[in-house]
Formats: sequence, C-alpha cells, structure tokens
Amino acid sequence: MNASQNLPRREFLHWGSHGLGATALLSLLSGEPLQGETPAVATPAQTEPVVKRAIHICLVGGMSHVDSFDHKPALEKMHGKTLQYDKKPDIFFGQIGLLRKSDFEFKPRGKSGLLLSEMFPNIAELADDLTILNSMESNSANHTPALFVENSGFEANGFPSMGSWLAHGLGAVTETLPAYVVLSDARGGPNGGAANWSNGFLPGHSQGVELRGGDQPVRDLFPAQGIDARTDLATRDFVNAINQDHVARVGADPVLAARIRSYQLAAQMQLSVPEVSDLSGETKTTQDAYGLEDEQTADMGGRCLLARRLVERGVRFVQLFSGGPIAGSPRASWDAHESVKQNHSHEAGRIDKPVAALLQDLKQRGLLKDTLVLFTTEFGRTPFAQSAAGVIGEGRDHNRYGFSVWMAGAGLKPGMTFGATDELGWKAVDRPIPWHDFHATVLQLFGINHEKLTYYHNGIQRRLTNVHGQVVNEILA
Amino acid sequence: MRNLIIFFSAFPLLGIETGSAAEPIDFEQQIAPLLAAHCLECHAGAEPKAGLDLSRHEAALRGGENGVVLVPGDIQESRLWEMVSTDEMPPEHPLSAEEKELLQRWITTGVSWGAGSIDRLRYTSGRRAGYDWWSLRTWHMPDLPAPAAGEWSRNGIDHFVWEKLAQVDLTPAAPADARVLIRRLYFDLIGLPPTPQEIADFVSDPSEAAYLEIVNRLLESPRYGERWGRHWLDVVRFGESNGFERNGPRRNFWHYRDWVIEALNQDLPYDEFVRMQLIGDLEKPGPEGVAAAGFLVAGVHNTVVGGSPRMKKLARQDELEELVGTIGQTFLGLTANCARCHDHKFDPVRQVEYYRLAAAVAGVNHGERTERLVEEKTRLANLQAEITLLTQSLQSMNTLAREAILKLRTDESRPPPAPPQAFAQWEFDGDLKDSIGKLHGQAVGAIQLEEGALVLDGKSYVETSPIDKNVTEKTLEVWVQLDGLDQAGGGAISLETSNGVRFDSIVFAERETQRWMAGSEGFLRTESFEGPKESEADQRAVHMALVYRADGTIVGYRDGQSYGREIRKAGLSQYNAGASRFIFGLRHTPVGPNKHLQGKILRASFYDRALTPEEIATSAGTNTDYVGETEIVEWLSPVQRLERARLKSELDERQTLLAKIQEDSKRVMYSVTPTGMPAATKFLHRGDVDREGEVVTPGGVASVAGVEADFQLAADASDADRRRGLAAWITDDENALFSRIIVNRLWHYHFGQGLVDTPSDFGFNGGRPSHPELIDWLVHQLRSHDYHLKPLHRLMVTSSTYRQSSTPNAVAQAQDAENRLLWRMTPRRLEAEVVRDSMLAVAGKLNVAMGGPGFEDVSVKENNGTTYYEPLDVDGDAWFRRTVYRFSPRGGRSALLDTFDCPDPSATAPRRAVTTTPLQALSLLNNAFVLRMSHYFAERILSLNLPDAESQVRSAWQWTVGRAPNAKEEELSIALVESHGLPALCRGLFNANEFVIVE
Repeated sequence: MNASQNLPRREFLHWGSHGLGATALLSLLSGEPLQGETPAVATPAQTEPVVKRAIHICLVGGMSHVDSFDHKPALEKMHGKTLQYDKKPDIFFGQIGLLRKSDFEFKPRGKSGLLLSEMFPNIAELADDLTILNSMESNSANHTPALFVENSGFEANGFPSMGSWLAHGLGAVTETLPAYVVLSDARGGPNGGAANWSNGFLPGHSQGVELRGGDQPVRDLFPAQGIDARTDLATRDFVNAINQDHVARVGADPVLAARIRSYQLAAQMQLSVPEVSDLSGETKTTQDAYGLEDEQTADMGGRCLLARRLVERGVRFVQLFSGGPIAGSPRASWDAHESVKQNHSHEAGRIDKPVAALLQDLKQRGLLKDTLVLFTTEFGRTPFAQSAAGVIGEGRDHNRYGFSVWMAGAGLKPGMTFGATDELGWKAVDRPIPWHDFHATVLQLFGINHEKLTYYHNGIQRRLTNVHGQVVNEILA
Repeated sequence: MRNLIIFFSAFPLLGIETGSAAEPIDFEQQIAPLLAAHCLECHAGAEPKAGLDLSRHEAALRGGENGVVLVPGDIQESRLWEMVSTDEMPPEHPLSAEEKELLQRWITTGVSWGAGSIDRLRYTSGRRAGYDWWSLRTWHMPDLPAPAAGEWSRNGIDHFVWEKLAQVDLTPAAPADARVLIRRLYFDLIGLPPTPQEIADFVSDPSEAAYLEIVNRLLESPRYGERWGRHWLDVVRFGESNGFERNGPRRNFWHYRDWVIEALNQDLPYDEFVRMQLIGDLEKPGPEGVAAAGFLVAGVHNTVVGGSPRMKKLARQDELEELVGTIGQTFLGLTANCARCHDHKFDPVRQVEYYRLAAAVAGVNHGERTERLVEEKTRLANLQAEITLLTQSLQSMNTLAREAILKLRTDESRPPPAPPQAFAQWEFDGDLKDSIGKLHGQAVGAIQLEEGALVLDGKSYVETSPIDKNVTEKTLEVWVQLDGLDQAGGGAISLETSNGVRFDSIVFAERETQRWMAGSEGFLRTESFEGPKESEADQRAVHMALVYRADGTIVGYRDGQSYGREIRKAGLSQYNAGASRFIFGLRHTPVGPNKHLQGKILRASFYDRALTPEEIATSAGTNTDYVGETEIVEWLSPVQRLERARLKSELDERQTLLAKIQEDSKRVMYSVTPTGMPAATKFLHRGDVDREGEVVTPGGVASVAGVEADFQLAADASDADRRRGLAAWITDDENALFSRIIVNRLWHYHFGQGLVDTPSDFGFNGGRPSHPELIDWLVHQLRSHDYHLKPLHRLMVTSSTYRQSSTPNAVAQAQDAENRLLWRMTPRRLEAEVVRDSMLAVAGKLNVAMGGPGFEDVSVKENNGTTYYEPLDVDGDAWFRRTVYRFSPRGGRSALLDTFDCPDPSATAPRRAVTTTPLQALSLLNNAFVLRMSHYFAERILSLNLPDAESQVRSAWQWTVGRAPNAKEEELSIALVESHGLPALCRGLFNANEFVIVE
C-alpha cells in the first residue's frame, strides 16, 4: 500500500501545511466534499454556500463609469459647465477641465430596463443577468495601490489577494490544477505584476499561478531542457521508488509522505494543464462565440474560454486581467487620459464579446448556478475632462470617489443596480461601497463570514477586510 | 493537547483572586483587574460609552447618560449590578459566577476604591496582556531542574527539556547516528552539506571531542555568517528595491547584507549588533557604521506619495508605522505598530507610546550616502595639501611676474576688451527681469528693490522661470554686498533643478566662516577653494564668479582675480531644460535654516559656457589689471618657464589623481540619511493626519519592565539623541525582553520552532512559551557570555536535546504532535536557499566569493518610472554564488526559490512557511538550474575517474544524501545510469526526500 494513503486528506489539500497549518486558525464553512472524502476544512457551518467558484475579470487602468454602467442625464445638461465643489478635487494630475457628457449612448436593456451604454453591446444584451454596483469607492487614485486594494484590501504589497484567501480557506476541488489561476492580458501583466495575486503571508499553495501560453504554460511544468521522454519517466519512477523505500524504512512522517504525493500530483498536473489549455476540442460554434477567430477578441476570447474550462475542472478562482502595464504608448489599458471615446471603444471591443460569451456559456452549462463572475476596475474616471480649466478635453482623470463594477451569477439578485453616485457621477452618495464591503460580500456568497476568515501574522489575526467590511445584503438573493 | 494545558497553567491568564465571602475586598487585586478586563474597553477614556467612565472612582459613582449605576451598599439600586447579573453586560461575554459574586460583594460592602484611576492596560485578562505578562516581566534566574536519570543530560538545556517530558511521562528519542547528526549540524550551522570525506571522518570517530571540533570549525567558517545572516535578513525584510508602485532597484544596498554577514562571522555581541543597526552611522561614522544602519531603511519606501501635503504626511506616517513595527517586532517581539490608531487591542502598548517610538525614529530618512574609509580620507587630505602647496608656488611665481608686467604697462597700451556676452542677466533696476533672455524672476517673500539692487532680508528670495536649455558647462556671476560677515550658508546665485535636489551655487561661509565656496547638494561638487577670508564685502559690493568647466574643474574668482585654488570633481551636474531654474538669495529650495543670504545683489549674470580668466576679469571691470597667462610665460626666464611648466604638470597630475581617488574610494550606500533636527512628533487622534494632538517626546513602552521608557529628551531633540535613546532603551542589560527574543530566535532556527513559536511576537496574540524557565536560563547564558551568540549556538547544538534522532514515536506523537516538548528532533525540509546552495556544492560549482553587489538572475526593466523584474535563465560562475548574494528586489521572484517558500522581502518573515506542492516538485524536477546542476554533478563524478558504474553510483549517493545506497537502491541506480546516463541519476537524487529533508 502506498504510504501516502495513510495520511488524512487535509494534509494533501493543504499540501503539507506542516508547522504553519496548525496556526492557520481558519473558521470556515467546508468546501464541497472531494470525491466522497472528508471536507477540505472542517469547520462550523455559517451559511449555505451558493458560490463554489469565481471568475474575476479585472479591468486595469480605470474604466469610466459615466460612460458605461452609470447613466448620468445631468451630465448631459451640464456639459461644458464647471463642476461646483467645496474642496478642490484631489485628483491625480490636478487638471480639472469642464464637465463632459458621456461619449457613449445609453438606452434601456432587457426586461429589467437597466440603462447601459453602447460601450458593451453584447454584455448589455445580458443586462437581466447583471447586478451592478454604482457606488464603489477606493482608498487610492493611484494605479498600483488601487489595484492592490482592489485585490487584497491593502494599498501596500505583501498582503494576500482575495483569490489566495479563497484558495487557502476553501482548499482546492481538484489537486491537479492550482486552486487559483491567473490569466494576464497578452499585452503584459498589470502594474505591480505578481504582487496582485500574491499569497502574502498565507502558505505558498494559495498563491495565484499564472497560466501562460507556449511550451511552459506553468513555470517549470516540463523540463527546461530537452530530456528524452523515456529518461524523464525512468527518472521519476526512480525518485518514487527510492522515496517510497525511504518512508518504509524511517516511518510514515507526514512531511515525507506529502512529498511523495506531490510528485504524483505533479505528474497529473503535467497532463491536466495542457489538457485544459487545449481549446481545439471546443466546437466551432463555441470558439466563434468567444471570438477566437477575430484578431481583436482572440486574446480575451481564448482566456474567457480557458476560464470556463478551468472552473469546470475544479479551479476555485480564476482571475483575468483586461489591460497590461499602465505605462507606455499606445495605451494598453483602460487609462483613458487622452480620449475616453477612443480608448474605451478599443478596450471594450477586445472584451465585450468574449465576456458576454462566457456568461452565456456558463448559463447554458448550468455553471452560473454556483459560479460567480466579477467584473471590476480599480477606480472610475472623473465626470469632468482632464484638461486645462475652461476646456472640455476628451480624456478623463482617475476617480476614486465613485465608480461601477458588476457581478453576475450565483446568489445575487439579477437585473438590478445598487447604490448611486451624485447626479454627475463624481462621488458615491447612496450607500458608498469600499472594497472591504465588496470583499465581504464576495466571501459571504462563498458562505464565509469575512470576520472569521483569519490568519495569524506578526501579532494580528489578519483578515481580507482588515477591521472593516459590511456585506451588501441588498444585492443578495 | 493534554500537555498544552501544562504550558498554560504555568501562566494564569487572569490573576484575579476571588476569595471567600467572608474576606474583605482587595480593590487592587480583585476589583481593578475585573473592571479592567470586562468593562473598561468601552467605559473609560476620553469618550466612554454611554458617558459612563468606570476607571475613576468619582466618575463611576456619578454614573452616565442613564443615571447613577453604583449605589454603595445598595445592590438593588445599583444598575450596574442589574446589567451584570442579567448578563446584559458585558455584552456577549457574561461574567462567571465567581466574578459576579465578587462584584456583588464589592457593591454591598460600599464600593471601595484604590489610589487613583484604574489603568486598564496594567492587568492581564482573558482578552489581553497586562504589565504582568510573562514576556514583559523582569528577569530572574530560574532554578535549574534536576538532571535526567542516567547520562542523558549534557547541559542545562537538557535539564529543562527532560523535566517537561517527564511531567507527561515521555522520554527523549535515542541519539541520532553520526551520519544524521553531522548532516544536521552542517545544514544548521552553515547551510551546506558535509562532503563524503567529512561524513566518513566523523562516522569513524564520533567522539565528543570530534563533535566539538566540528561545531567549532563550522562556527568559525565564513559560511556560518552567510547562513545565519540569511535568517536575520528574513526578519528585517531586507529587499533590494523600493517596493510600492515604482519599485526602483536599490543597487547600493548590499553593504548592509555584507555587514550582517561579517558581524555574525566576527561574533559581534548581540547588543552591539543591534546598536550598530540603530545608530551605527552615529557611533562609527564611515562605511561600516553607515552600512549597519541600513537596517533602518531596509523596508519598502514609497517614492510616489502624491501631490498634496496631506498625502505626503500620510505616506510618511505609513513609513514610520512600518519602521516602528519592524523595530518593535525584531528586537522586542512587540507589535507596537498596532497602537497607531488606538491603544493596542491585546498588549499593554498605549497609543501615545506608539508616537513616542515614532518620535524616536522621526529623523530617519531613506537615501544614498557616500562613505570613505579613514585611510582613504587621509590619503585625500595629503593630496589636497600637496595641491595647495603647488598652487601657492605657482601663484607666487605668477604674482611676481604680474607685478613686474603691470609696472611696465601703460594705460593706453591696451584697449579695454569687450565684456563677454551673458545668456541671462539680472540688473535689478526696479524689476526682477532678465535683461537679455526670458528668465524673469519672481519674488518669494518680501523682496525689496532699492537703488538698483535686490535687497535680501534673510527670509525672502527670488526664483526665475525654468531655463529652456540643457546646461552642464557654465559660469555664475554676481555683484554682491553682505549685511554682515558673520552670516553662514546663504547662496547669492544658484542654478538648481526645480525640486531643489541638485544645485550649484555661489555660497558664503557654509563650511568655513567668511569664505566663499561652490555650494552643491551633499557637497558633491564642493571643496574648499582655500581662498582668503572675506573682509570687505560688508563694506562694498564684490564681484564673485564661479566657472564650471566640462572636465569637472571649478574655478572661483573674486573681483576678477582667481580665488584660492581650482578644484576638480569627477563630473559636472547636468541641468535639464524645462526642469531647472535660477534662484537668488537662497542656497537651494526648499527653504530651510542657514540657506538664506542677507545683503544686496546689484547684478547677476549667467553664461552657458565656461568663461576664460580674461573674460572674467573683463566682466569684473578689473581688466586693466589683468595679466594673461601668455604674457606671464613670455616674461619669465627660460629656467622659470621650465619650473612653471613642472609645477603645472605636477598640479595637474595630482588633481587628476585626487579626482580618481575620490571617485574610486567612494562607497555609495543606501542607508539612513538622517534629518539632523526633526520636527517634534505630534500625537494623531485615531491615527488621522488631520487630527493632530499634543506634542510627544521620544520614548519607549512603559510596560517593558526593567528599563526606563522615558528617554529624558525634549520633543525637538536631535535625531542622534533620539536614536541613541532608543538604542539604549532596547539594548539595556536590564531589558529582559530584548534577550528573550534573541535566544528564542536562535532556538527557532536550531530546532525548527521556537520555545515561543512566534519569534517576533511575545504578546497576547503570540504563542505561549513551552519552556519559560529555559528561556530565562538561556538569557542568563547570553549575558554571561557578554551577548556573544556563538557560545549560545554551541550550547544548543551540543545539548542532548539537539542530538536526538528524529524517529517517529506514536505515543509521543499522539500527545504532542507538534513536538513542543522536544521528544525528538523534528525532520525539516531545507529552505529554498539551502536547496539551491546544496545543489551548487554537490555539483562542485559553488562559488564562495563573499560580498559585493549581488548576482542578478532577473532582468531589470524600467518602463515609464516603474521597474519590472523578470526571471532570467543564467549560467556561469558569477551566478553560482550562495543564494544570500542574490540581488533580491521586491517582487523579483525565482520559480525555484518561490516554490520552496522563499519569502518576498516586502514584509518580515520571522518564521517561514513550509509547504509541499506539486509546483515545488515540478520545479525541482524541471527547473533549468536543477537540470544544469545535474549535468555538472555528473561531470564531477566522471572526473573522479572511478573504476566502474557501481563506484560512480555510490559516489553520487554519498554526495547528495550522505550515505552509500543499499543493495536495492544501488540496483535501481545502476539500471537508471545504464539506460539513461549519469545526469538522470543526479537529477533523481536531487529529488530524493533525503536530499531536501534533514532528519
């Protein structure tokens, strides 16, 4: 008998959280039982989890809410006027131009009649499936810290991202794919790079694993230098044999057994990663729906389809970025300082069809019943133009005081908007939602009380929501 | 878990004696702790809940918004009792029956009170630590428990360990065999495996003497400092980039890493080791001390803090919190950073104490400094003296010639030449305009113009619009009269970058009283001209000019005559178009003490080239007296000419040498660049930068027993005094906490987990000590060895506890799965760096070169201000150094190191995670480095010219796992080698459990 089979299941799921595991004072709802075995984390149930997995689409650079999901008729009337304010707006570049109406036309969509702009024509078709939050606010109007807050709740790096918290707290459903997978824009990683999917102080198994194209979709998945397949296999058999022999001799220590098991999982991962990454088995209809054939949508289309395949196979959290590094010209992100019309049309054109296809596909396959789709951006953009005073420039500056994100899928009231910015879209006024509240709500959907998902680090029981967080109950079904 | 109860019972959490009904109430012992633990979290402080303050007698009797709550002697009328007896208060955590009884008795017996108000932080409770918390107490020599029966106990450690084991009927594991022990010891002390020969030697003579000899040898090995230095670098979050958005690299921060390694190798006493890191730059000025003080700036540094003053303040407060947190945690296991917005929720650290600590480091700033060794400084000074002599000889020769020539000269012999054409000129005739170009000035402060002169009152200055041209070579010129000669540091005319970070300026008396000099940032282009003392400029206007030549030469002129000697620097500073401007009356922006000039400027000019001496003289209006070099040379006799040429060439040679040594000897290091006189620190209500409170003086945390927390300093004390106060408080011999932390850290690394398993947190949220008396016994050992760490290492690794085998034991496992009682040695997976270093060592490729800039296995790319670090596949001796020498920017990860839980240096890592994942397995199988090392290792074995496959296989096993293969292993190995070659076996062995796990 294989020595590793004597070990409790949890040891494998946390991949040998030896030493530290004992201090991970997690108090969580159980993940789903794994192939009839004991739950990943045995803890007192809180609420019934509705969501079992999530796909998080992160728009990098700052999507303008007043041009997309937050209709502002008053802005139309005030076009070309000056924003009245008590305090001079504390914005990034400090250039405050005149108010500018949306460059995109809004109209009612679906049965719900949500007012959505033409920026995302395909997503707009699915208005009845969306739960739009129009009163988001962030701590920072600076790209990288704002991205960090969006992902981890903290402006500084070194804190675990939401995906890591979920991967650590709920464990994996599959052992042959990472629990948390990241799919970056083909144009490059977001500002801050891997810090955005960092496990921070959580154990390494909860780190986001970047799945890339090419020969090494995961770092070191295959030998870095050409090794004959038979040699590779023989070597691994040899490793297994001597390790098994060693355990038999010295006794079944959990650390040793976990290592043996990790090699078996590694071998399976070498099969499962290429398998999941291979989109050729998908029907032509599916491929076309995701826009794989179209140059403009191929990158996001491929990644959206991959995301579906990953969650189907048990990945807990898939994170897709729309937008690469902030710096550089032409812009490769949503950072529309020069022209919202031009930039957002281009960026939306890359993702609108694929994201809509993903939602449709998840629905069709019944996956949306227990899958959550998140569509977020680190901050919004100002209702006034970014230009000299007295000018209606075409670009907009960063706005952390009010912006929009949406969610779709399990556990939500669909076809609604929640919260509101002021009549111009400058600041959230009706139930402002900081990221901590957003995170608390996502955890709640996973059946986790955000105050109970904690991990001891340097004197503090750390939480994703720090000492904040209020669940937005109004949007929960 | 049974044994855990034993640990805790040694430390009663709640020190309340309930007593019996008949006994009188002892307020201090019984009631104060109870109120502190259960009521005062809400009902105390500036804004107590419901207006009810139970921390003071009078206020408690007065009651709150809802009226009186305590009526002495009348339990029925006391609303407090009603709330408590019905479990409404304290909310969610009702009092126990005993506590209620006590409270009832207190009220019925008349609500007695002690002296003054109750300090809620003083008392340990079920929810927080008080002043009597175990780690904060003063030190007492513990009694040494009886030794184990028989021979087991080797030193005091074993007495304590045996005692705890015996209490739960456990016994230590058998001693590890020699092979296991030597391997463990090597990895532990130097982080590298022993060679087969070293193993064989010890196996053949495993005597006590042989063991001690190895221990001593390893402790003296330079590899020891590298191994243990790495541990320290984890704790202090040593990273070689700034972090945050920009994450720019710190190419000059390796000096700190080298200092740590060297200090450990030298066995610098730990208190000195810590003092150097806090005040090295003050105590030992020069490269060593400044490198050590790099600790203060090892953390992240936000270089994009936003434009508004509020954002800047916030960023600074964040930085101070990070620093205070690291200092507290590293040296004292105190999470003082948790008290920035409120009193610490769990430990007796007051919010004001957080600000006292912040005040102690308020002068700490990040930056680079240039340091030189004493002997280098001496050499430079000697050269300088030679240059002065040569200059004087040359000048006296010139003066003779000049005077003679002038005697011969008649007025009409030379027409006055035309003055040179300036790029910009300011006449100050009624306005601040540039009379040539567009560089018009603007007043900052109360500027007056009088009789064609700019009047500077020592508070105001003038700045111009940005220059639209890049400038390197240049001439600054000014006609200036001073209000007095006793002023210091003012600048007459300066060219500076718009942020004031770089500047060149005509400065009066900054370094030397009454002398002019070429001012520059950090004196980078400044040296004494050794010109005469100014004696006239307070009576009349003098003409001053500085010429900056392309080769780095700077020449001063006063009234058209050269002022002292020329100086030469390695290069000029470039000023970019659009980002540079001129200022008058201020050395450089921002405004600060001793930067303003007091006097008048009659006229100023700027030339975008280096003027010749003739041109200067012409411009100064002294051209009639000017004698050019050609004239002088012509006048001299042939012998004098030769002598003059010799002097000139010697001078030139020395000046070149001086510039070269200045350049070569300078050690640019990232370290603390202190603000000498930091502003007073203010308390911030709720940590909010908009809610400043009273001024606080630098100080420590009062709950740390044995040391005085008040540093006896004024709120505006100098940075030096503040940090000295902090260092003295932390490292005080009576500060037991300081020593407890380090002995536990050593224990943590030697045994895999500390006696307290949270090495940087000895507070309420941290772990409880498994062997509290042992900690204090080790403190005694540390002190009696004058804080040297090597004797402590020796003590630990020579104990019987350390020399146990790691054989599992089902009985002990069931009782103490985490091995807190040390019934065996816990097997440990090697850390990321040790895995990599061991492969290098085994493959015969380890390059043991120490120190210097780290090797880079990441590409460093800057894009629009942000730096990105991507892994590179590198091969070659330069990259085969120990991993501690890896250039380690934040976020600059490596696949192999990452999967083995090497922490990102963004935060401190006092205890590393140990995970086993499929990605780790994949990395160890497939990473380019591993495959390359497999090949090198195979080549090494082949180069041994062993007779047959069997010997090769045995050798490979010996090197990697320290033993010969058994028959089955040998058979498997030979089969693998025969079909797939020796590299396949080498790769396989790198993946063996026994290679990466130390028993």
